[in-house]
Amino acid sequence: MNKKLTCIGGAVCNEKLSASLIFAEGQDLTHQNKEVLWEIFEAIGINWSNTIYDSNNQRSSWYEMLKAKTENPPNYTGEYVNAIYVINELKAMYGKGGAYKKLFFESGVDNNAPPTTRLAHCKIYVVNEFIRMQITAGGFKSWGAKYGGEQAKNYHGFLGGTRYNRISKVRAYDPDAANLKNDQT
Amino acid sequence: MKNQFEYIIVGGGVAAATIAKGLLDHKHDTSIVILEAGPKIIAKDRRFWWDYITRGERPYTFTYDQKFEADSTGNIDYQTDGVRVKAYGGSTMHWGAWCLRFRPEDFNLFTNTGEGADWPINYEDLETYYNDAEEFLSVCGDDNANWIPRSKPYPVPPFEWTAADGEMIKAWEQLDVVYQDGDINPGKTSKIKSGKMPIARYRKCMTTGTCKYCPIGGRFNAQYVLDDLKNDPRFINFEIRINAPVHEVNVLNKSKIESVTYTDNLSGNIYKVYGDTIVLASGAYNVPKLLRASKNEFWKDGIGNDHDLVGRFVVSHSMLNVVGKATSNPNGWFQEYDFPTLMSHSYNTKEHQKKGKIFMFKNRTTPNVDIAQLMIDGKTREEIDEIVYGEMTINIQAFLEEKGKYSNRLEAKSGVDRFGLPQTTVHFSRTEKEMKNANDRLKLLEQIIEKMGLEVISSRVDKPGGHHTTGTARMGTNSENSVIDKFMKVHNTDNLYVCSNAAFPTGSAVNPTLTLTAMAFRLVDHLKQKVN
Repeated sequence: MNKKLTCIGGAVCNEKLSASLIFAEGQDLTHQNKEVLWEIFEAIGINWSNTIYDSNNQRSSWYEMLKAKTENPPNYTGEYVNAIYVINELKAMYGKGGAYKKLFFESGVDNNAPPTTRLAHCKIYVVNEFIRMQITAGGFKSWGAKYGGEQAKNYHGFLGGTRYNRISKVRAYDPDAANLKNDQT
Repeated sequence: MKNQFEYIIVGGGVAAATIAKGLLDHKHDTSIVILEAGPKIIAKDRRFWWDYITRGERPYTFTYDQKFEADSTGNIDYQTDGVRVKAYGGSTMHWGAWCLRFRPEDFNLFTNTGEGADWPINYEDLETYYNDAEEFLSVCGDDNANWIPRSKPYPVPPFEWTAADGEMIKAWEQLDVVYQDGDINPGKTSKIKSGKMPIARYRKCMTTGTCKYCPIGGRFNAQYVLDDLKNDPRFINFEIRINAPVHEVNVLNKSKIESVTYTDNLSGNIYKVYGDTIVLASGAYNVPKLLRASKNEFWKDGIGNDHDLVGRFVVSHSMLNVVGKATSNPNGWFQEYDFPTLMSHSYNTKEHQKKGKIFMFKNRTTPNVDIAQLMIDGKTREEIDEIVYGEMTINIQAFLEEKGKYSNRLEAKSGVDRFGLPQTTVHFSRTEKEMKNANDRLKLLEQIIEKMGLEVISSRVDKPGGHHTTGTARMGTNSENSVIDKFMKVHNTDNLYVCSNAAFPTGSAVNPTLTLTAMAFRLVDHLKQKVN
């Protein structure tokens, strides 16, 4: 953790801000704002290759989270608008693909420290929370099968639907199947 | 404001909800007031849930005891901070909802071992109430399990074992129960059996693993029951007052309890409410403190405390915890539920009672990889794959039964907490023999981890704590050995009852809430009969 972190971006990204949530009570996101924010969310799946359908199967969950975070206090609208400023500057500097690579993998932001720049606000309040939401909503499912195992089915926060279903809600242990396999070997 | 009720219930958790519901279902116009010291925290709120998912924040944790509000003395640190939710709904706001019955031998600990205490009732006295409690809490359990006698099937089928459970099950199938020195018949063996953990979850549970703050109300929370009672137009004489810490129980004479005094935390005003019957259902911490604080000319050392027993015999569970490591995890397993699914009562039997029974289970959080955190930390897909399919740890854990000792005591210390309740000190020590027994039991768990082909990387006895504190106003046959009688009425009073974990003479090796709920059902029957 002693590694010196070098921050990316230009004047916008590195502008100093208070660490607390950017005040935005009473403010709303526009349709255009939401489209830019969706691009950030979509880029997460692209960069970690862990979603299908360009993340569109998660869009309703993502939108519900956005609504909950902007229509109830404390209001995240200021953080979301700030993230748009940041990503616009990064895209101008590094191009679209490069901007997201820098933001996700080389941001230089200490995730455990209070965010005191626009870039750090964007990473901690927006990117990190989008990542958690994306994994919760199904982004975990691309793990499990690499070496012939079963794909993961559940994760903390995943709304898996009723458990009274013929398809198991988790990767389950079936002793009868295990015994059958042992008998055959 | 109304100040006279048939029943006053102090505390707003599962016991209060069970008693109020039982009495109101029986007679709709029964007048009841519940006095809860804590605030109301909204359940099933979408914004709270998203904050839990994205930031790990839970809206009720601010009510937990802080270390400065609840400390401990003795030769072992007793965890008092962060274990109780002081709010409307009580600790069912955050409970794991493991619902295990006590076993018949738990009611006869002293008879069987010469240590601890016997209950003034037997398992058979409680068995039908366990059925009621399982239905009320919606317990998902395995009817094929025959560990403990039962007269009705579980109301909901069990959760299945996870794939990672299978590795431990296979190890258990190869291992015998080892009877150690101190057990009955040391040297004897029998097979370890696997069971499915009985867990309280409603049928609508979506198996999300966010049980610490459920977005849909898929797990019992006393708040839901209390809300339903409040909103039911039939129950016109039912009231709940929150932010209302009770600080004294008042008497007319030695046997007749007259009223309680509480503060309205929002206004600062002090009120007295009168009741025909008063039930203290505010947990194993607050009940003894309230009894001892209620001093008067008839009870010089506090109500029920003529023999200096209130607050004594603190019982908890120590957690035994062994961690094993595998060099790889080719199936990429991580924990998919947020609760354990595999358990065994093989060491939770009468034969192991003398030395201390243990209840074993596979830890709920391993194996696990926090994929989102790795992404947040900037790891690439390839780096995360290496971690997901790389080293894996699996824990086995067990609750260790402990016996109540006179010198272990919970009491108030000076000052009040943020909710106006007296602060707490727990005096708790273990003997050398208890330490040795705990370490011997640990060796059994290590054997299991080794049989799974894992390297033991950690093996420890965790400190006891307030999660399962019991025994501080225990039941018994007379006032010289206990605080309350077999119907949970304080000895030598006519109308003061204790319905909380404080009433338990023993703590068994399993979680207490199901047993508490069964006892609340039994108390309801007693109170109904008393009125009739």
